[in-house]
Amino acid sequence: MGRGKPLESTVQSCLDGMGISLLSEWDVLAFVYRHGASLASSDQIAHLIGYESTVVKAALDRLESEKLIERSRPSEEVRFYRIFASSDAGRQRRLQQIVSLAETRVGRLLLAKRLKPDGSNRDEKNNRIN
Amino acid sequence: MSKDGLIKTGITGLDDILLGGIPRTNVVLLQGVTGSGKTLMGLEVIYHGIVQYNEPGIIVVFETNPNKLVRDAAAFGWNLEELQEQKKLQIVFTTPQVFRHELRSTDSLLLETANEIGAQRIFVDGIGLLNRDLGGNAPERAGFREMLQQLFESLDRENLTAIMSLEVGSAPNSMATVEMTDFLADTVIQLGRDRKGRRIQRSLEVLKSRGQDYETGEHTMHITEGQGVQIFRRVQAPSRAGSKQPTSSTMRSVIGVDAVDTLIGGGIFDGSTTMVVGISGVGKTVLGTQILREGVLKQKTKGLLVSLDEHPAQIIRNAQTLGLNLEEQVADGTIQILFESPQELDVDAHYARIIKLIEEHDIKRMVIDGMTSYSTAIGELAVYRDFVHAIVAYSKQRLMTSFFNYENPEFLGVSSYMPDFPLSSIVDNLILMSLVEINNSLHRCISVVKSRGSKHSFDTREFVIGQGGISLVPLERNLLPPVPLQAYSSLLSRAPTRFSGSKRKNGAAAVQDKE
Repeated sequence: MGRGKPLESTVQSCLDGMGISLLSEWDVLAFVYRHGASLASSDQIAHLIGYESTVVKAALDRLESEKLIERSRPSEEVRFYRIFASSDAGRQRRLQQIVSLAETRVGRLLLAKRLKPDGSNRDEKNNRIN
Repeated sequence: MSKDGLIKTGITGLDDILLGGIPRTNVVLLQGVTGSGKTLMGLEVIYHGIVQYNEPGIIVVFETNPNKLVRDAAAFGWNLEELQEQKKLQIVFTTPQVFRHELRSTDSLLLETANEIGAQRIFVDGIGLLNRDLGGNAPERAGFREMLQQLFESLDRENLTAIMSLEVGSAPNSMATVEMTDFLADTVIQLGRDRKGRRIQRSLEVLKSRGQDYETGEHTMHITEGQGVQIFRRVQAPSRAGSKQPTSSTMRSVIGVDAVDTLIGGGIFDGSTTMVVGISGVGKTVLGTQILREGVLKQKTKGLLVSLDEHPAQIIRNAQTLGLNLEEQVADGTIQILFESPQELDVDAHYARIIKLIEEHDIKRMVIDGMTSYSTAIGELAVYRDFVHAIVAYSKQRLMTSFFNYENPEFLGVSSYMPDFPLSSIVDNLILMSLVEINNSLHRCISVVKSRGSKHSFDTREFVIGQGGISLVPLERNLLPPVPLQAYSSLLSRAPTRFSGSKRKNGAAAVQDKE
């Protein structure tokens, strides 16, 4: 219990360092991280993780601008999505740290608490993250 | 087809079944039920392609987490992450819809990636998912068929050798998918996972492979921790290995066991096969041990003892009590002992291990102790028969002198050499070891009832087991019983009868004639 506060501040600092503020952004990032090279359209990613397409599109744009993911040229609606291979060691470490944390229930609850819901599918999303 | 036109799978035993490998750019379908090893086999073909043959590859997975694939591969010691970092492998997560689109697209990202890394192999896990929407009506089936044709065409255009896994279920849609895919694929490999008694047995069968010959029939498949898939050729498949070795020899060698050499006419032909038949406890194992040891000491030939009954330590200990020191020969490798438990014996894998030992150690003399255990362990008579025929044929082809111990269930007397499976006709020599009851004691006796091409004795001689193994009781010094066995008739027919005076004379004359 005593670890609660330091852990929360670590999580917040990681999220801030990566530029993630929305839960949808984290869910999309986690999806791309877990699936390696994903060949899909944003609509299909939205379908697979249970968000609306507009939300996923916005999250993908944001993650790309933050250099967290990279995507290939489009082939019609489809692109390759991958985690950006950053040379910034601190950034890579933060990503690893938060991914490890998200593998625990405590970590997932903490992330849900710290990140802002985007308004769409909120209940469904919270159920999933729990 | 030349060997250059083939790609090797790298899977132990599979390239031998495929007579060298798979024709390059073939579309290979791995089909089977859940848990039959399709994904692992596909993964392994890609992995070995990269690591052993420098052929980069792509793995496509649908709606399953690629991390699990990476994790499962790591359990076999295959580091897929490292290969991805080296840009020799690309695992692609996608959906069936995207995959279908990609195949039709002229600017396919997937094929572009394949080109970028120089991929020569691609594994698509779960091709059946592409047919998820297939209904019962003809237009949809035609659509699936067209889609498969496009897929195969585009892979061929890119010079990719494709491996596709297809789950075989029992639903009508599944059967339709299988039929259609089987027809269009160049090579179809069926993986089986069947219940045998209470155990599971995996199998592999090549159903078709365009542009090449292959070993037909159902072969055994193992998934071994830390190693991957292993295929064991079915034992009865005739060997294709070209051999100029003659299958018979005019060279005759003494066995080295005086008791047998005396009766068999001075020795047996090299490369001959001998069945030793007798009740449990009569001395077959001792004879086998002695044969191998004498082979090493007198003939300088390496030996192999195969046992399903006794652990090597026990065999060595028992031999030691008779002054037959096997430990030294086992330690220096002149005698190999292969022990396998008869419980859940996998005959194809067992046969492969025997062959491997023979070839690795240049074995010239083999004793299998004993055949009855195979009969009970294998269960199916046809498979047992195939095993025996295969081992006898192999032994003859190599000109290896082999002895097979067979435990006859009859305690006293023998009415049939091998009641459960008469194979005495396929061996060259037949030695009978029996117990006879005279007065109130049991005596061991030995007869040579068959020895092809030899002028052997038909006498039944008493023998004893003591220090040094088996030795015949000398005729002139036969102290127990007071009269030698030659004084009796019907020794092997359960009713030894002592000759009367006149008959004894005749019997003695008959013995003399033979000698």
